[in-house]
Amino acid sequence: MDEIGEAQRELAEVYERLKALLAERRDELAPYEERNALKALAALWQVANGLDLDPGQLYDVGV
Amino acid sequence: MKDTPYWNPRHETMPRQELEALQVRKLRNLVEWAGAQVPYHAKRLSDAGVSADSIGSLDDLRRIPFFTRDQWMEGQLEQPPFGPILAAPQEAAIRYHMTSGTTGRTPIRVLDSMKDWEWIAEMWCYGLWGFGVRPTDRVFIAFGYATFIGFWGLHYAGEKMGCLTLPGGAMTTEQRVRTIEEMGATVVASTPTYALRMAQEARALGIDLASGPVERLILSGEPAGSIPATKKLIEEQWGAKAGDTAGMTELGTIMIFECEAQPGGTHIIEDHYIEEVIDPETGEPVGYGEQGERVVTSFGRGFIPVLRYRTRDLVVKVPGEDCPCGRTFDIYDGGIRGRVDDMKLVRGTNVYPRAVESIVREIPEIDEFQIRLYTEEGIRDEIEVLVEIPDEGADVEGILSGLGKELADAHESLRFGVRQAETGSLPRFELKAKRLVDEREVIGGEGEKRG
Repeated sequence: MDEIGEAQRELAEVYERLKALLAERRDELAPYEERNALKALAALWQVANGLDLDPGQLYDVGV
Repeated sequence: MKDTPYWNPRHETMPRQELEALQVRKLRNLVEWAGAQVPYHAKRLSDAGVSADSIGSLDDLRRIPFFTRDQWMEGQLEQPPFGPILAAPQEAAIRYHMTSGTTGRTPIRVLDSMKDWEWIAEMWCYGLWGFGVRPTDRVFIAFGYATFIGFWGLHYAGEKMGCLTLPGGAMTTEQRVRTIEEMGATVVASTPTYALRMAQEARALGIDLASGPVERLILSGEPAGSIPATKKLIEEQWGAKAGDTAGMTELGTIMIFECEAQPGGTHIIEDHYIEEVIDPETGEPVGYGEQGERVVTSFGRGFIPVLRYRTRDLVVKVPGEDCPCGRTFDIYDGGIRGRVDDMKLVRGTNVYPRAVESIVREIPEIDEFQIRLYTEEGIRDEIEVLVEIPDEGADVEGILSGLGKELADAHESLRFGVRQAETGSLPRFELKAKRLVDEREVIGGEGEKRG
């Protein structure tokens, strides 16, 4: 399969970092921070999926 | 942003071999997920000897047992309200929807999480972008916005793409037509039947849609979006291109869309689905160019894994290369051609509502129609077509006799009664049109069901 580009790699990193943040430091987030981050993660999942990164499921983090 | 005709250029133009390898990988993930999260599926897979590790090629898909609507409904009745098929806790859901229930059966109820809901919009983005819709467009959605999933996903796709999205819920047809005009909508989404209804209303209001800003219609919900005569009529009345799509509540969204090249069919979104075509009687696969029943496996909605779901939709698959658009995604030639259960047996002749519509719509003077089946003298099946011809100057007798002959010629000389109905007397539809009324006392024959 095609290699992904630098911009795509950065998007994938943002997805992974956001996912990790929500899994590990959720208790530190205010409601507006947490809920908007979750919504952003749902959107970034589509990118990770479109890049064939096998992003799995996100139900355990509420997405 | 790249200037491209594809929503996901990487996947939509992927060589078939790579695309199939991607499907195999996603299938393995899906089997693993369904097996781990849904005991109901785990048992079915285990009984069939299927595990994620045992999936090595697309041929292995056929080892997974079919899943039917009856099984889905039985599951719901045994474990209301959703049945034993949820792969995530209900608390993770943000949306609830159900089938339209036009057939009077138990509706199918579904849940979606935040990610799934985004994915549902994502599928519509393939269709909208692929048909030429862009962020500068103004998209009007003629839809009731209730529990039926319908165009909900298209609404969110419009927002995601950056379009000005105009919700057309809780409006009369007149209000919708006026909003389309006042807001300068460039794209309108509706069922094919309702597109014709809005055009009729516009004429009555003295609004010339064909000279207005609408450039594209996104059709869904009925096979008519791919019936050439119906599509031509819609395109003429709106002065716009009409693109067909089709989806289902069981998937949450669309699985096929028509691209700008309008190849006479709809591309399958094959990076998110595997679509098989089988003989509905034997369950064996049929080849390119042969009509059969759609069976869908979806990689998208993790909340409700869908593995080899028998849709009862009739389709004819052809290679993607038949279309000049550059997509490698295969095509359903003629879109969804009807339902396995649509076929009516009238005095030994098969009658499909779609075939009748394709003939009726060739006659521009006919505004609305209905197919009626009834029993004559207690024993004999009869079929008649009621038509509305609002133009008082039209040659009604000539139209009725010509239509009767056309219908008979297309149906092994089966005699069709053709009658004029009073203008405005036949039902109009906003959602899925149901133009066939079966009033027979005894249904035609083996293999036929009352629709």
